[in-house]
Amino acid sequence: MNKVQEISEAIVQLKWDEIAALTNETLEAGVPALEIIDRGLVPGMSAVGVKFREGEVFLPELLLSAKTMKTALEILLPILSQQGTGFIGRVIIGTVSGDLHDIGKKIVASMLQGNGFEVTDIGVDVDPERFVEAVRDNDVQILGLSALLTSTMPMMEATIKALEKAGLRQRVKVMVGGASVTQAYADQIGADGYGADAVAAVEKARHLYRLNR
Amino acid sequence: MAKYTNAERIFRALERKEPDRVPHFENMIDPKIMNKILPGASYEEFIEHMDWDALVHDDQCREEVLDESRRIVRDEWGTVKRYTQEIVPIRVEVPIKSEKDLESYQPPDPDEEWRFEQIQRWVKRYQGERAIVADIHDPNPVGTELLGFEEQLMAFYTNPELVLRVHQIVLDYYLRYINNVIAAGADIVFIGGDWAYKNGPMFSLEHLNKFVLPPFKAMVQEAKRGGVYVIKHTDGNCWSFLDSIVEVGVDAFHPWDPMADMDIGEAKQKYGDRLCLMGNVNCATTLSFGTVEDVRQETKDVIRKAGVGGGLIVASSNTVHSAVKPENYVEMVRTVREYGEYPLDIKALS
Repeated sequence: MNKVQEISEAIVQLKWDEIAALTNETLEAGVPALEIIDRGLVPGMSAVGVKFREGEVFLPELLLSAKTMKTALEILLPILSQQGTGFIGRVIIGTVSGDLHDIGKKIVASMLQGNGFEVTDIGVDVDPERFVEAVRDNDVQILGLSALLTSTMPMMEATIKALEKAGLRQRVKVMVGGASVTQAYADQIGADGYGADAVAAVEKARHLYRLNR
Repeated sequence: MAKYTNAERIFRALERKEPDRVPHFENMIDPKIMNKILPGASYEEFIEHMDWDALVHDDQCREEVLDESRRIVRDEWGTVKRYTQEIVPIRVEVPIKSEKDLESYQPPDPDEEWRFEQIQRWVKRYQGERAIVADIHDPNPVGTELLGFEEQLMAFYTNPELVLRVHQIVLDYYLRYINNVIAAGADIVFIGGDWAYKNGPMFSLEHLNKFVLPPFKAMVQEAKRGGVYVIKHTDGNCWSFLDSIVEVGVDAFHPWDPMADMDIGEAKQKYGDRLCLMGNVNCATTLSFGTVEDVRQETKDVIRKAGVGGGLIVASSNTVHSAVKPENYVEMVRTVREYGEYPLDIKALS
């Protein structure tokens, strides 16, 4: 097994306490940072995603593999920035107004980061105007809206309407998710994407990013 | 058919025998909904007005206000929480971030008498008439409040000893608390704690067996030794570990959320001989957005699929939360009264 494969395997095997040393060794062996990400981290994280979807692994494994990946990215991304390359896309994510739930959103944010997106989490109880400001003031391709409560889901639609009103709707792809959200609801309010779980959210984000870069 | 008291109706359902009609109560209902149905009423007045078969005594925990305007409190476990317009507050900060915090950690005292005064009052007023339910939580969800959600789950790998120690602290509290609610006169212990979300379990069977099930089992056994019934609640799609819950010896399972593919007809077939089923009128869709007719039909479906032979308590598929239409909730209860009489009229329910 070469060093890059070892990195990939370390993500799958949850070697959270070994990944930093392994990443540094791989860099020292002359493997470029981008290759470590593309051929080591991303396939490792994807493999975990498949296992998660198929019910072979669960949230502890998903969270720990994302943490393992983030540890490696903390070493690799500064190198890429110096070289002028970096994230595959930028995402702003938040829980809509009136809703303070952030577990699902944080899991999705971790998974997106683990898959090479730069994610800005603007928190919970975010009103439509703050989402609009965040989109206006930042160069982002995707806006993620989270809501757990049936009672706060309408704020997703209000946020999309606020983006339209501000003339920013075409600038970003809007993704929605949360326990009570469905694909049908996403379609109804004019969202561009819905993820039933964190893995689906990453897949959808990749797809939307390709459409919107 | 013999006429039963509200309490007897619940007990018979829990024993999977036919009562005179399908019983009903909710583990949690938003006060805003109660107020819309019966303005200004106390909890007890509301229960009597709706003729619930049981009253639910909240898990008693004092809170110290830290920031009144932002509605931020610290509870007796040390967790900082923020209230919103919903009844369940959101965790803001956890008290145990490492072993170091555990060294000086002081859990609440489960023997403080104030915790059981309401049950004692209810016993005087309702014993034998309406069932008295003590709502409590198993160590896993309380552990989440103490450690944080992601931190607790990752610590299954990174620091299992810390998780086990925290769960033991919570278990020690609840073993004494259970004995106290039983001594005060509770009939049923309702053990909440989410082990699943809508797509499946949060953790593997191995982790369930290592961290979650042993303390839960100890709590169930303590309650059973005290001679009370036990209802287990967890959100989500629980099919893969339901056998484990049944084997522990609970009397009922709640809430069979249809959003998580928990079909109550399938549940009746698989577990109807061992478990009383409590739920599953959809509170995410039907009770919140449906028409009164939709609610009526779905409630009839639940009774038809799971009511035969007893062993059913109709309730919402989680809670009667703030977005439930009051008229829909009232219609659900009315339908239970109208179509829940035993022997069930299957033709009318179809």
